[in-house]
Amino acid sequence: MTSFQSNRLADGGLVDRSAPLNFSFDGKSFSGFKGDTLASALVANGVKLVGRSFKYHRPRGILTAGSEEPNALVELRSGARREPNTKATTAELYEGLDAASQNRWPSLDFDVMSVNQLFAPIFVAGFYYKTFMWPAKFWEAIYEPAIRRAAGLGRAAGIADPDHYDKAWAHCDVLIAGSGPTGLAAALAAGRSGARVILCEEDFVLGGRLLADGGMIDGLPAAEWIARTLSELAAMPDVRIMTRTTLFGVYDGGTYGAIERVNDHLPSPPEHQVRQRLWRIVAKRCVVAAGALERPIVFAGNDTPGVMMASAMRSYIARYAAAPARRIALFTNNEDGWRTVETALGAGLQIAAVIDARAEIAPEQRSLASKSGFPVLHGTVSGIDGGKNGVRKISVSLTGGARAEVEADGLAVSGGWNPAVGLTSYHRGRPKWRDDIAAFVPDGAPPGMVAAGAANGAFGLGACLREGFAAGAAAARDAGHGNGSGSTPVADDQAFSLTPLWHVAGKGKAFVDQQHDVTASDIELAQREGFESVEHLKRYTTLGMATDQGKTSNVAGLAIMAAVTGKSIPETGTTIYRPPYVPVAIGAFAGHHRDETFHATRLTPSHHWAAEQGAIFVDTGLWKRAQWYPRAGEKDWLESVTREVKAVRSGVGFCDVSTLGKIDVHGADAGAFLDRVYINTFSNLAVGKARYGLMLREDGIVYDDGTTSRLAEDHYFLTTTTAKAGLVMQHLEFCRQVLFPELDVQLTSVSDQWAQFSIAGPKTRDLLKEIVDSSEDLSNEGFPFMGAREVALRGGVRARLFRISFSGEMAFEISVPARYGEAMARNLMIAGQPFGVTPYGTEALGVMRIEKGHVAGPELSGTTTAADLGLGKMMSTKKDFIGRVMAGREALVAADRQVVVGIKPTDKTRRLRSGAHIIPKGQTPGPDNDQGYITSVCYSPTADQWIGLALVERGRERIGEIVHAHDPLRGEDYDVEICNPVFYDPDGGRQRG
Amino acid sequence: MAEFSWEIRSPLHRALVSGPFGAHGEGGVTLTEIRNFDLVQVMARRGKAAEMASAANAHFGVAVPETPKTAGAAEATLIWSGPDQFFVLSKGGRHQVGSLAPGFAASASLSDQSHARVLIRICGDKARALLAKLSSIDLYPAAFPVGTAAATSMDHTSVTLWRGNDARDGQAVFNVLVFATFAESLWHTMLDSGAEYGVEIGHSEDLA
Amino acid sequence: MRITCPFCGERELGEFTYLGDAKPMRPAPGASEDEVYDYVYLRDNIAGVMDENWYHGGGCRAWLKVTRNTLTHEISAVEPAAGAGARQVAK
Repeated sequence: MTSFQSNRLADGGLVDRSAPLNFSFDGKSFSGFKGDTLASALVANGVKLVGRSFKYHRPRGILTAGSEEPNALVELRSGARREPNTKATTAELYEGLDAASQNRWPSLDFDVMSVNQLFAPIFVAGFYYKTFMWPAKFWEAIYEPAIRRAAGLGRAAGIADPDHYDKAWAHCDVLIAGSGPTGLAAALAAGRSGARVILCEEDFVLGGRLLADGGMIDGLPAAEWIARTLSELAAMPDVRIMTRTTLFGVYDGGTYGAIERVNDHLPSPPEHQVRQRLWRIVAKRCVVAAGALERPIVFAGNDTPGVMMASAMRSYIARYAAAPARRIALFTNNEDGWRTVETALGAGLQIAAVIDARAEIAPEQRSLASKSGFPVLHGTVSGIDGGKNGVRKISVSLTGGARAEVEADGLAVSGGWNPAVGLTSYHRGRPKWRDDIAAFVPDGAPPGMVAAGAANGAFGLGACLREGFAAGAAAARDAGHGNGSGSTPVADDQAFSLTPLWHVAGKGKAFVDQQHDVTASDIELAQREGFESVEHLKRYTTLGMATDQGKTSNVAGLAIMAAVTGKSIPETGTTIYRPPYVPVAIGAFAGHHRDETFHATRLTPSHHWAAEQGAIFVDTGLWKRAQWYPRAGEKDWLESVTREVKAVRSGVGFCDVSTLGKIDVHGADAGAFLDRVYINTFSNLAVGKARYGLMLREDGIVYDDGTTSRLAEDHYFLTTTTAKAGLVMQHLEFCRQVLFPELDVQLTSVSDQWAQFSIAGPKTRDLLKEIVDSSEDLSNEGFPFMGAREVALRGGVRARLFRISFSGEMAFEISVPARYGEAMARNLMIAGQPFGVTPYGTEALGVMRIEKGHVAGPELSGTTTAADLGLGKMMSTKKDFIGRVMAGREALVAADRQVVVGIKPTDKTRRLRSGAHIIPKGQTPGPDNDQGYITSVCYSPTADQWIGLALVERGRERIGEIVHAHDPLRGEDYDVEICNPVFYDPDGGRQRG
Repeated sequence: MAEFSWEIRSPLHRALVSGPFGAHGEGGVTLTEIRNFDLVQVMARRGKAAEMASAANAHFGVAVPETPKTAGAAEATLIWSGPDQFFVLSKGGRHQVGSLAPGFAASASLSDQSHARVLIRICGDKARALLAKLSSIDLYPAAFPVGTAAATSMDHTSVTLWRGNDARDGQAVFNVLVFATFAESLWHTMLDSGAEYGVEIGHSEDLA
Repeated sequence: MRITCPFCGERELGEFTYLGDAKPMRPAPGASEDEVYDYVYLRDNIAGVMDENWYHGGGCRAWLKVTRNTLTHEISAVEPAAGAGARQVAK
């Protein structure tokens, strides 16, 4: 059973009474209508208490009707879709909506933590800094867990979000934020000129304040004018209107961030649809028509449920036909607040009294009061008698000192209006103060952006239309369009007079920031303690740092600070505004980039073949590489890898090495170019030969290595490590275009053109003879070590064959055009079948390179020189190359540098682990005697023990020395012997054979 | 011994499943992989851009695009791929490195990219909506007319994008060349992005 | 941020990679260690307009010299590197 909508007005409003919707709040069932927000439906059901406050757990009600809401935050939905801190004031009602109040236990009505109010003195400004200082060890054990339990608002779902989020780009001439009278007028003007327009509206209905406040435009009631305007805009193909879309940020170069809540208004997104979409909008011009936010007046008890912004009360009554109260009092310091009286009376509600802080009140308002029979009290509200069930009585301090009481069940408050200066201030533009409206207005907006209408401090309807239309027309002109036809929509301007009033001094807690429970006295205390700068004030009191970013509290906080310091508000200044304007889900920023699609993935040409073989894959940068190929009965990876290594060393195996970066280097100066980027010489490399090359950074440290072959006089084929492929391409382009622009060199990435396989082992040639055309001579004479040339394969495919070895075995690398990659793997299996061919993965590759003493990523660590790696002799002294001069610096050639050596445990059964520190034997490990560390380790099937490479101080002079390996991370200590890094076939006979 | 097979396998061989995908109803987007094509990168030698352009003109009978555009020649499309460089996209072995090399010997370097890319054709009502999720480029009809090309990125992956001639029904046709080893990943992102519109998936053996 | 590539037109920041100050010039092969040291390590830390090297790696792979105000991010000029494309450059 759903309860009767006790506070729903009999008629009126923009809700669809033919479409009732059931929902629940804290487990209790209610009903509302299509067109309601959760907040308006709660109002319609007479629910006043909707949450407990952050620090003091005070009962709180609904304060506003928009995205500035500080109090009415709920957990929306349940299970994996539970979303904390959702504003009830913007959550659209849908059938079955399920919401729960936050920050209360065990229930909203009876909240144990509200005892915090009794300890209020310790929760004052800076309480985190004052309370949890010492003892330090208490922080992790006691303070932090306790704070985390007690503070915060909603609970995160704690499980993965099941919905999809999306990201997209949009482009336009004129971007408009807001669809109130200003935004619609701007869209008309820009659209009529032929400009491409995007209008973003965060609400699900277009019209802004017109929806609640109405008015006459061009002789039509507001609703009819909106309908006419929307139909004109709909006929313009280049005008795009996006509802449920908040413009939340502005970035350099006219890029804007917007969040579209595509399906938040449904229980869950329909199949294949996204929940939210993050837009990056590139706009030549932007008109901010985001309106203004009504601001509260700070007084004792101002957080009592039933105290509401005057404009919000109008929204609930006029737009949603829901009565927040039956007998309403108004506390205002300006003309505009009085509109709530007219709206309430029009809906048949009672006005208890108007408390007006101004000295002068317009005659028409006086006559309205006398006609309708309510008193007008000159003065201020000094206290509220009420509690979690709402307002009962309002205490008034009358001008002149007398006191009065007003019986009412709701209090509308209007302290004036603050233009929404967020977007215009995100590039550090500081808004400027305008005395006539006692508010900050935009100044120093980002290039291309202009504020208009209420967002610019123009509060009258006629002024909004004029400013909006003019801004839209100017923006379209600036974007290269002519003047459109049609004239400015016309409406009357309302009078607006205001007497600034920020804070009514008195007894009892008077809240400035209701979401963070910051009171007026907190600000006064902060000032007494010396936190006078607004940036300090903000951080010390946490004013404006909650999810609402202080939309209803910042200016009042500044004003109170100004009053206690005796400065003016503009002298006090504002804090820096930063995006996002409303909270944006991390999921929306991530879009599709989550889980397995967190980043783009690269697959080798033989990937799917390897997957068929049951390969285990490892992520290597963006790549998925076959790490090993387990076989039935093997108990762990080590057993598989050991088998693969033995198979290669005794027979033949192959491995997809297509992940290496491959670059075609063309041009008459290709050789001269390579001479400058490598430490060794390539211009004298014979056509048909390959050479190992080493690159340095300009600071003399090793950058990358690889084999480069000369395929023609003016064509080299350069390979890079897998990790650095993209960076080396960028570096080479920098050399080509910036450092050596005079050279005739062309660079093309061919990484994806070639499927490249390493074929290694004593039976490599036997296998190759099966696959290579019989006319090709693969003998040592016909294809010597470091040979490189194109060959024909059986079946007609052309391949590139390189006689190079990373494993220390007789080996070739063979490249075929990539779409033959999978066929190549299958054909290698067929050709090698008589020789027991074994596919091997990156682990076996790594084992064999360590056995052979080849350096790789762990040794090319960004700290090592060529000499450290044992490759110092490669450095040519006959030419200039990148890094040459810096490599000769004293520290880089010092005799005591840590250099690559081999390492093996004195206890042959011990496992080595990389990262262990090398300490001289007999010494206590410490930073003073740390002489290096183990960089790479493996279990060597060939040596039948663990071996490793290490960087050790003066290592090459210490071959045979026993040193100590100290591994504090894993709590291991053991002795190792420094040895030659080439454990396997040190003469190189096997690879040359 | 079993016989060798040199079967050509597209990098999308497994990922591409022909038929409808995602939301039901009229396919909002049509994704078609074109499987066989020849693609040659032509890059001018230092100081030889003008010579390369005349060589191209002599060979193809059209002016080579010097800005991000395409040029349609008989049996080939020339696609701008960067300053003083372009792609030759063709089929059936008519314009491969070997046959192009003599004409460009004095003016340009050639590099075969036929196996380095995957070619995906995107059209349909929602083609621009789908591409707006992948590309930061403005594909508005007037901003990106027929014959416009771009060297750009999609989903952090380098691509060459160009707008071909409109389809017979007047709809815009976009072509994407993506690096082969990234293709499956980008393909999944395309499907993920297009699911809400409904995708009609297909492949064509040859360039139309 | 958006950078107008002289070859491709206006593109979003994600297509570009920043390298740094474009002012230091690589010393000629015979330069002293001090000169090379200055080139490798010494940079002005300009609060204002400076020339920077950017790489359009997500686009046409041209290196660009971008004149940018580090305070406002305003870009006042973008030029290709001397050796971008195939333009002839004197030795």
